[in-house]
Amino acid sequence: MNRNYLLIISLLTVGFSACNSTDPVPSQPYDNGVLVINAGNFLDNNGSISLVQRTSTTASYDIFQKENSRTLSGSLSGYAEVNEKGIILVDNSTAGKDGIEIVDAHTFKSLASIPSTEVENPRAVVKATDTKAYFTCWDATGDFSNFYKNPGYVAVLDLTTNKLTKKIPVQNGAESILVIGNEAFVGNTGSGMTKITVIDIATDAVKQSIEIGRNPELVGLDVNNKLWLYAGGEMVRLNTQTKTVETRFKITSPNASKSPSSFTLSADKKTIYFTNSFYDAADGYLQKGETYSFSIDAAAVVADKPFINRLFSGGLGVDPQTGVIYAGLVPSFKQAGYVLRFQPNGTLIDSVKAEIAPSTFYFKK
Amino acid sequence: MVLSAIAPHLYAQKEQSLCEVTVRGVRPERFMVGQKVQEIDSVQLTRFRYSTLADFLQFQSPVAFKSYGAGQATSIAFRGTSANHTAVLWNGVNINSPSLGQSDFSTIPVAGFDQMSVQYGSAASCVGTDAVGGSIQLRSVPDFKQKGLQTLAAFRLESSENYTGQAGLRFNQKAGKNWIISGKTLLYGSIFNNDFGTEPHRTRQGESYSFEPTRTTQKGVLQDLYWQHQKGNLFSLNLWLTDNTLTIQPHQVPLREVTRTQAYRVLGSYQIGKTLIRTGFIRDVIDYGKGENLTPSHTEIDRFILRTEHDFSWIQSCDKGTNLKIGAELVHYNARVDGYGDEVKRENRADFYALLRHQFNGKLSASLNLRQALVTRFSPPFTPSLGVEYTAFTRPRTKISFSGNTSLSYRVPTLNERYWVNLGNPELRPERGFNKEIGVTWKQRLAEMNQFSVSVTAFHNLIDDWTYWNPERNYRVENLQQVLSKGLEFTVGLKTQWHKTQLDANLNYGLTDASQQKTYGPYTQDFIGKQLIYVPRHTFGGTLTTTHGKASLTVQQQFNSERYSTFDHSGRPFAPYFLLNAVLNYQFQKGNFRSDIALQGNNLTNTVYPNLKKNVMPLRTLSLNVIFYFQSKQPTNES
Repeated sequence: MNRNYLLIISLLTVGFSACNSTDPVPSQPYDNGVLVINAGNFLDNNGSISLVQRTSTTASYDIFQKENSRTLSGSLSGYAEVNEKGIILVDNSTAGKDGIEIVDAHTFKSLASIPSTEVENPRAVVKATDTKAYFTCWDATGDFSNFYKNPGYVAVLDLTTNKLTKKIPVQNGAESILVIGNEAFVGNTGSGMTKITVIDIATDAVKQSIEIGRNPELVGLDVNNKLWLYAGGEMVRLNTQTKTVETRFKITSPNASKSPSSFTLSADKKTIYFTNSFYDAADGYLQKGETYSFSIDAAAVVADKPFINRLFSGGLGVDPQTGVIYAGLVPSFKQAGYVLRFQPNGTLIDSVKAEIAPSTFYFKK
Repeated sequence: MVLSAIAPHLYAQKEQSLCEVTVRGVRPERFMVGQKVQEIDSVQLTRFRYSTLADFLQFQSPVAFKSYGAGQATSIAFRGTSANHTAVLWNGVNINSPSLGQSDFSTIPVAGFDQMSVQYGSAASCVGTDAVGGSIQLRSVPDFKQKGLQTLAAFRLESSENYTGQAGLRFNQKAGKNWIISGKTLLYGSIFNNDFGTEPHRTRQGESYSFEPTRTTQKGVLQDLYWQHQKGNLFSLNLWLTDNTLTIQPHQVPLREVTRTQAYRVLGSYQIGKTLIRTGFIRDVIDYGKGENLTPSHTEIDRFILRTEHDFSWIQSCDKGTNLKIGAELVHYNARVDGYGDEVKRENRADFYALLRHQFNGKLSASLNLRQALVTRFSPPFTPSLGVEYTAFTRPRTKISFSGNTSLSYRVPTLNERYWVNLGNPELRPERGFNKEIGVTWKQRLAEMNQFSVSVTAFHNLIDDWTYWNPERNYRVENLQQVLSKGLEFTVGLKTQWHKTQLDANLNYGLTDASQQKTYGPYTQDFIGKQLIYVPRHTFGGTLTTTHGKASLTVQQQFNSERYSTFDHSGRPFAPYFLLNAVLNYQFQKGNFRSDIALQGNNLTNTVYPNLKKNVMPLRTLSLNVIFYFQSKQPTNES
């Protein structure tokens, strides 16, 4: 199929159709599989997206470059799909050079770019409605003494026009974002803020904020429709209807200096996986740790029996179709990383060479 | 006038006969027997006095440049080594930043010194730490032959909104019965906007890159003063203050990032007979801040230097004799750096060296150099070197000589590597290099103004305990890597005259194979044998100058083959690129007044190529360069 033809088709789709048009081309290269979002190395501005098929141990590298003859010029912080479009968050090492790339989710051809003048430090993106995406931004950062100097915001991206329609101010260091029903919940990182923000998706306005704990990170919605968070060293379970905290407990570990991260829910939404690690000062600050899991019914977590006896600094993801766990292995930021795949019971399946710093995963059909 | 200035500078002091090198101290290059030392043509230094050393040197020598952008941090690497493996010496004193262990070549203007030589390979025994891959020697020299007062005013206007201005004077006069006083004052300032618009540009390979908005301002003062007694004793005072401010996103205050780098350098020397006593003070300041509230992180490191040297010589004839230089240097460091904690870090370093050169006859000379450095809480290795030069074939018009050198080298870790809280590692060992090189040079004179030289050098440098900020250890620095760098360098020099037109050509080609030799972690197997990051396998550079009367045309070109940015060569390498510059110069002279007016075109092929941050480097520009000289007494003979 002629590439220009595809491009014209996709542009026409943008121009004349606000609703979800049927794709005239039956099979496209990026219809299926798992997208690996490789963050890249900070000053190298070389984030990239690889495509891994569920049954293959090889990947297609830098698919944006492959389809558009240019690379994404920055680190990558997030990816989501809305209205058959992929939204890529690009964070350049220079302030004022970040941007959002919008691609056809099936061909990965570029459709539009949100210019750097409109976004600063995009962090995470989520589908809000069939035609709207929300993404969090830190705005401009300061030096080390006051890094999260500005209030963050949630940018509203209209996927019918591919334009930003609004910026909703939220807490400093805005990071994780989840949409539950008609509401979006926004957590934060680093700034020390303790409340999450709730946004009404219909009005794009802040509804309320909820006290959770220091630097609340959203984990996900469990099988009982309860929202899990990690804040101030504790797991927190929130009732999203009543907006009240139902339970909170610490993750304890035989080694008190370990700290948990990379929380991910299993496909059945009954188990939470996480990594637990520390830098061992007694061993030249070598990073040590493992991957653990606990049931959503747990009343406390003691991280003493690893679920997978390895540490992944690149992040975890779970394929909702198969329950297979995807783990990003980052040996350094100056070489390709790997994606290791595990059965839901923790058995290693295989590993696939990815690109620099595989950090998050997007599971397609 | 221009021509006469070129000839004696080729291979200058290193090749002079014993009778020519007398009176005062012998320069360290004289002891670098068997090593490749390139003297940079003083005409080129004058012509490119507006350039930064980064912009200038890339066309002169096959060294690899690592640039974060025009007007931003730019370091060089010799023969596959890293930026930390280049010693930069100003009047014999290492001026690398002690915190970073390297010099930013974008902050050093060519106008800041009078002479430059580039030395390839390890020269630690002659110049000390850092000279693992090579060294750059910058020198200020008095001009006692000059008459009266010469004043200079110069400016450069470049189409990318880059502006440079310089003003200075040189003088030379008798002071009393026994003394001559000579000196130079220079003030300079530049603003580099490198404005090429906001639109992205595509490379020939189809990659698209955009510009990073930046502004770099540079200013500086140079003051050299020399008092020479008729018996030859010489007092010198050299002062060089530099102030460089890089602002990324200068037009958007909330987004801007400001790095200010200042250096205060003062040297006072007394050469009494063959003894040199030199004291010095260097302060390096780096301030970094972001946004509106510039509460910058601050680095301030002072060095107090005391050096003494004595030269012995036993000269039997112009072809036979021995030179010996023995010396000692003491340096006290005071480091006030935010990242090192509240405490001021102090350390002392001492270097003891003996450099011996013996010339057996007109054909054979050899050197044996020894150095032992001492550093507080650290033990640098003993570093000897041995070199030989042998002229196998001498005819009136032909000379073929062979050279060989083997040397050990070392690098004392930077203060950041040793003292940075948690990440620094006080237990680090020095990096050590073992360098071997051989070369052959063929010089052929066809006629008085018609000659060429060809030289080929092969090198092999094994560097062990190469430091690495290890991400597995939260970026703590460790001695992990071992690198072998080997390669070939070809240099061709050509000088010819046709009617009244003179052609000078200098071409160089470098083949570098630099790779990791040892694994240092479970995922480093992939790196073994692969070309190191940012090291091009092939480099080519050339400068061609044609001179006809008062007009001259200089063409510079440079080629770099592809460069990888990952150890395992994954991802897309930086594409090869070629750069072409040209300068058309015309000299006017009337009485005591002289002017050089030049039209310079940089990057004439409009090559789009990225820097390390994947932003596009400067595109084609046009500039007007003007220098006015005014001579108070009589027309000067210098160019």
